Amino acid sequence: MSAPRRGGDARRRLASPTLAMLPRVADSLSFLYLDMVRVVQDDTGVCAQIQVDAQRTDLVYIPTAALSCLLLGPGVSITTPALNTLARHGTSVISVGSGGVRAYAGILSDSLTTHWLEQQVACWSDPERRLDVAVRMYRMRFQDADLPEAVDLDKLRGLEGQRMKAFYKVLAQQHGIGRFRRNYPMGLPGPRQPRPVRSQRLSLRHRPRRAARARSVSRPRIRPHRQATLLRLRHRRPLQGRNHPPPGLRPPQLRQPRTGSTPPLPRRPTTPQAPPARRPRRPKAPDTTHHERHRRSGRRRRAAGEARRQDGPPLGPQGRRPARRRQLRRPR
Amino acid sequence: MPTMLVIATTAVPDHLRGALSRWTSEVVPGIFVGSVSARVRDKLWQAVTDTVGNGAAVLVYPAPTEQGYAIRTAGTRRRVPTDFDGLTLIRMTAAPKAKEMQSPS
Repeated sequence: MSAPRRGGDARRRLASPTLAMLPRVADSLSFLYLDMVRVVQDDTGVCAQIQVDAQRTDLVYIPTAALSCLLLGPGVSITTPALNTLARHGTSVISVGSGGVRAYAGILSDSLTTHWLEQQVACWSDPERRLDVAVRMYRMRFQDADLPEAVDLDKLRGLEGQRMKAFYKVLAQQHGIGRFRRNYPMGLPGPRQPRPVRSQRLSLRHRPRRAARARSVSRPRIRPHRQATLLRLRHRRPLQGRNHPPPGLRPPQLRQPRTGSTPPLPRRPTTPQAPPARRPRRPKAPDTTHHERHRRSGRRRRAAGEARRQDGPPLGPQGRRPARRRQLRRPR
Repeated sequence: MPTMLVIATTAVPDHLRGALSRWTSEVVPGIFVGSVSARVRDKLWQAVTDTVGNGAAVLVYPAPTEQGYAIRTAGTRRRVPTDFDGLTLIRMTAAPKAKEMQSPS
């Protein structure tokens, strides 16, 4: 038997925290998107190593316990100790495409209870309870809703659709956007599927929400707390991956640096430099063949050599003769 | 309405530490905790950034972000707050003479 280590129990609790030590999903940070990094577990925590160049590696420690979802984009490698730690802290890990566009797979802890999932399935499978839940969520979303007594799911969807249409219309008028439609599969990138830019931008704004939804679905321990999650996501910017969105499609909010919290690092001021002036091309002699031009240029070169032999080297820009190889002359 | 603020300082001039201790309390060496209004905080931080010299200072205060706080820095050190799609995490930049693995310090 080994001797008890100092602070043994507390140490163990820190290593694998109890549920009471973890923040509720509504209190935790919604998501963190990583790409082109290596995620490892070192002795103090889980950190992402960012390779700056061949010699330098920057470290970013990830707040695993406070984070509810980690999105791993392209180019991420992660070690199993790091995955175990993430699972122990109840962080769901989802592998996604660039910019969080597609969710490929979710990894979550083995020992989470499925209480909320069972409740949800029970509600979903009973038509009456399902309708009741839908009506309650509708009222939560639209406080001023006056629903008819006999409403079914299809009617409810129609009412929601009308409201959203009106909402989009008002917003479009406020921001001076013309007519557009949203009639394509949301967020699926495809080079052969050109899509309206406005719709694509809207999808960009929705992407973190979809990521959060994927998170709540892949986390059976806790009911997806939709309202709270969406409220928190209002403070977040849309995800920005290496290739998504394409630079031409980035909405202006994405390009502006975040202000307020941290001033950006001072950068060397870049002065706009004029492109180097091109020497004007000597015009081709007209109506000459290739061979003819070569013959002429040879003749011109020979003529220049002849002149140099007779008059010395050509005059410099100030009308002086250039100094003759002064550096190369041998010392006497 | 006064809100809490924390200022952590590294190698700042003594007069700055004395000045900060007039608004806040120095709970451990270099860490100042206080509760002031946003305007006073801004003025105080402006004074800190102007006088920080070769040292460094970090201000943490409550803000309506997802994390609930915002970070401001004055002077440069190896830890740089970086924005990850709205989350501010600390990026530990590699030392000028880099070894293969850095131990956090």
